[in-house]
Amino acid sequence: MALPVPGSELAGAEAPVGGGTPAPRASSRLLRAIRGNRKATVGAAILLLIIFVAVFPGLLAPDSPSAAVYAQDASPSSAHLLGTTQLGQDVLSQLIWSTRQTLFVTLLVSVIATFMSMIIGVTAAYVGGLTDRVITVIIDVFLILPVLPLLILLAAYLPPGVTSLTIVLCITSWAFQARQLRSQGLSLRNRDFLVSARVRGERGLYIILREIVPTMTSLLVASFLSLAVYVVGFAASLQFLGLGNSGQLMWGTMLYNANQGAALESGNVWWALAPGAAVALLGASFALLNYAFDEIGNPALRRIRRRRRARPTA
Amino acid sequence: MADRSQSTRDDGTAEAGPAGPAKHEPLLRAEGLTRHFRVGGMFSKEVLHAVDDLELTINEREIVALVGESGSGKSTVARLLARIYTPTAGEIYYRGRPVRELRSRRDVLWYRGEVAMVFQDPFSAFNPVHRMSHGIIRNLALHRRELGREERWREAERVCESVGLSKRMLTRYAHEMSGGERQRIGFAQALALQPKLILADEPVSMLDVSIRAGILNLMVGLRDREDVSLLYITHDLASARYVADRILVMYAGQIVEAGPTETVLSDPQHPYTRLLLSAVADPRDADTDFSADTGEPPRVINPGEGCRFRWRCPYAIDTCETVTPRLRPLGPVQVACHVAGHLGEEEIAAPAVTEIRSRGA
Amino acid sequence: MPDPLLEVDGLTIEYLTDTADVRAVEDVSFSVGAGEFVGVVGESGCGKSTMLFGVAQLLSPPGEVMAGRVIFRGQDMVRLSAGELRHMRWRDYSVVMQSAMNALNPMKSIAAQFKDALQAHEKLSSTEIHERSASVLEMVGIDPAHLKSFPHQLSGGMRQRAMIAMALLFTPQLVMMDEPTSALDVVAQRSLMSKIRELQATLGFAVIFVTHDMHVVSRYCDRVLVMYAGQVVESAATENIFERPLHPYSRGLMDAFPTVTGPRRELVGIPGSPPDLAEPMSGCRFQPRCPVAMPVCAEVEPELYAVDSSEVRCLLYTDVNGLGETG
Repeated sequence: MALPVPGSELAGAEAPVGGGTPAPRASSRLLRAIRGNRKATVGAAILLLIIFVAVFPGLLAPDSPSAAVYAQDASPSSAHLLGTTQLGQDVLSQLIWSTRQTLFVTLLVSVIATFMSMIIGVTAAYVGGLTDRVITVIIDVFLILPVLPLLILLAAYLPPGVTSLTIVLCITSWAFQARQLRSQGLSLRNRDFLVSARVRGERGLYIILREIVPTMTSLLVASFLSLAVYVVGFAASLQFLGLGNSGQLMWGTMLYNANQGAALESGNVWWALAPGAAVALLGASFALLNYAFDEIGNPALRRIRRRRRARPTA
Repeated sequence: MADRSQSTRDDGTAEAGPAGPAKHEPLLRAEGLTRHFRVGGMFSKEVLHAVDDLELTINEREIVALVGESGSGKSTVARLLARIYTPTAGEIYYRGRPVRELRSRRDVLWYRGEVAMVFQDPFSAFNPVHRMSHGIIRNLALHRRELGREERWREAERVCESVGLSKRMLTRYAHEMSGGERQRIGFAQALALQPKLILADEPVSMLDVSIRAGILNLMVGLRDREDVSLLYITHDLASARYVADRILVMYAGQIVEAGPTETVLSDPQHPYTRLLLSAVADPRDADTDFSADTGEPPRVINPGEGCRFRWRCPYAIDTCETVTPRLRPLGPVQVACHVAGHLGEEEIAAPAVTEIRSRGA
Repeated sequence: MPDPLLEVDGLTIEYLTDTADVRAVEDVSFSVGAGEFVGVVGESGCGKSTMLFGVAQLLSPPGEVMAGRVIFRGQDMVRLSAGELRHMRWRDYSVVMQSAMNALNPMKSIAAQFKDALQAHEKLSSTEIHERSASVLEMVGIDPAHLKSFPHQLSGGMRQRAMIAMALLFTPQLVMMDEPTSALDVVAQRSLMSKIRELQATLGFAVIFVTHDMHVVSRYCDRVLVMYAGQVVESAATENIFERPLHPYSRGLMDAFPTVTGPRRELVGIPGSPPDLAEPMSGCRFQPRCPVAMPVCAEVEPELYAVDSSEVRCLLYTDVNGLGETG
């Protein structure tokens, strides 16, 4: 029934504003959004837990991760909650000690890639014209790059290790958000305050960094979180495929080693499952946190408090 | 209206007055100013003639109103003068110098410090992330480098108060202020440059009526106290009458009538001006019956030769179809119309009118 | 005097939000007779649009009618069920929104949208649908050939006319309009208003016309309600409002309009802003900005007082302070 009087039109009928009350600061708004949204609260809690583990591994791990002194391929027991590896190392300790490096790489890559996509995307939007078209093509190329063949190629030339991993991850993940940030930049392009900045003689770089980007913080954080989800999983996958350095302590390398040691077939199943679960958990925490940002970015998603009142009487 | 030391000739250029030497060069002059946009896809041949062969003059210490409806091109004119767009053809002369020649960073900055702009929408004219002082301080940093940090802040406060706001407003954010307050800050930003010309693009259209008076009075005050000229762009004849010394009426990218405000409004020569007036004044006062006109927007895509108003004009003749009228003096005003001066005379044959109309519809 | 077509009695509407409850409309009462053209004027935040939506039963959360009755054709619309309302809607009353671009479906032709509206309320054959659609388009001055057009192919003025045509499909007795001409240029506005007036004379429907434009009101309305901060502050016949505005706010509004003809006088305007409706208020809501406020105005909230044929919400027109009536 297409009546030309949609009720949704009225969602826009604003509550009248008076002389203007100061809006709450961004940080308190953020906290409120996270606390208010259950999914985000859970995500935040998980992330904080993981950060704690990353910062204080010594407090929690029962053993040194490399001490290969125990019974090999043992199943979980009270002494080894997750069992041991093929070499007799405590899986739980390894898991705990790997947290720091994993988290570090995830965050580093996410920050770098977000920054890259922001600069490239917003510049393309702001400068426009031929530059924009060229950059868009470049973004598209990076998006459709077949990643695996590229990685195998790179793996042949780059020394295995965290640095290469970081480089490869950055190259393959920056394009992800660049399009979205470019769209946002395009929508802002002709806003009066940007025209005003041009008219007063600001240089392009200034406008991009000091006028456009600051208005996109919500979007940037959301981008960062989305990227982090992707990076967590992808880093682990790359390492699982052997493109990392198996000696370095990360959840992905644990997966690799577990696979090499045939953990699922003949050894300790938990040696493979535990790091996998950890990766999933970290990814989930970022994804859950992202819900809070949806709300900040789009006020229409905020829950409307409905109070049940008696129907009005005359 | 304030007493002015210079009087204005028919074509708008200033002549010598008792208080000062003749300024033969107007502050800003545009000749043949044209701006086209290509519309449609990459291969389309459709060209939107936003501004076509426009001439205008702005003198020192005067308020000129550029009046037109949507599709008239008035906002494009503002953006051309503010050098946001480059002209497709024609030239703008500022203080006698062609603006096209101002290319170096120094020259461009100089121009931007002379010509300021105030925007229509007080809601989107300010970056929500920054405080209201941001634009003013940046203007001072870019254009009045002789001021140190402390002095800049003092100057920001001074300029804020000169537009009637308390200096506390500088630390507020845009969403904490009302539309009228924001618009005042917009003028304060412009004033920080100590400009000679302020381009005000519909500065009161989005404000409540009771607030408009304050801004209109502010504009008149700026002309008198701060020695600045204003180009007031609007669709509202009444407010144009209130603030402006001269009025330019725009239709379909061209100026159709120009002259002193009271003269144009009390005795309009161009049929479009008459139409506009009839829409806002008492219809019984109108000389011409425009009741059939439904306000359809003008044709500005590939318009071709001929007067662009001819489809709606009750006085159109054959010439109007083929020859684009140019702005010519007619007594105290300038009009771009083949039949101006003869409106209402019997010689305008009705058949010509209906013929043109039926071809156009 | 015959019963009024619509009677609004003590309508109060609130917005319940996370941060505050805002009383957007407070105790508004007025009536509309058959064939009357009633204007509701006010500036932003005065609650006029909210009030209209409330009367038309179009409010959605967080807006809610907290009190009052809206009696139309003998029934209190506030208490009707959704089904009963749907039956009345479009047949007995219809609504025209501010921006046709927002209300018209850009993906459907005009004919399709008219058909949807018609079929939603009545069983009609396709010939009848086509005839009705063509005839309402003609009524508003659009060539029926445009039935095939899509909204983006029509100019702003034509789209707005199409909206009005849609509102007249069932020739309702009451048409409510929320700033239908604000997005239009002056000439299109004038043309549309004359057309509305013409249709009103022919078809005999009543109109509630919400606007901020006093020019339109002065020319076309029979009666005017002036709203400020959620309340009706003056209600009078049009000539009276314009020649002898009683409320200081109405007077301020009249003085704020520049004119194209007539003598040039200095514009004054009303300094300050309307009050924040989320905050509690005492006394008269206009008092902080009122040029003739008395000390008692800050404490006592005025009611609507009858003055000749008008009503004013101002203590100047009462015996408070023993002053009696002042001009």
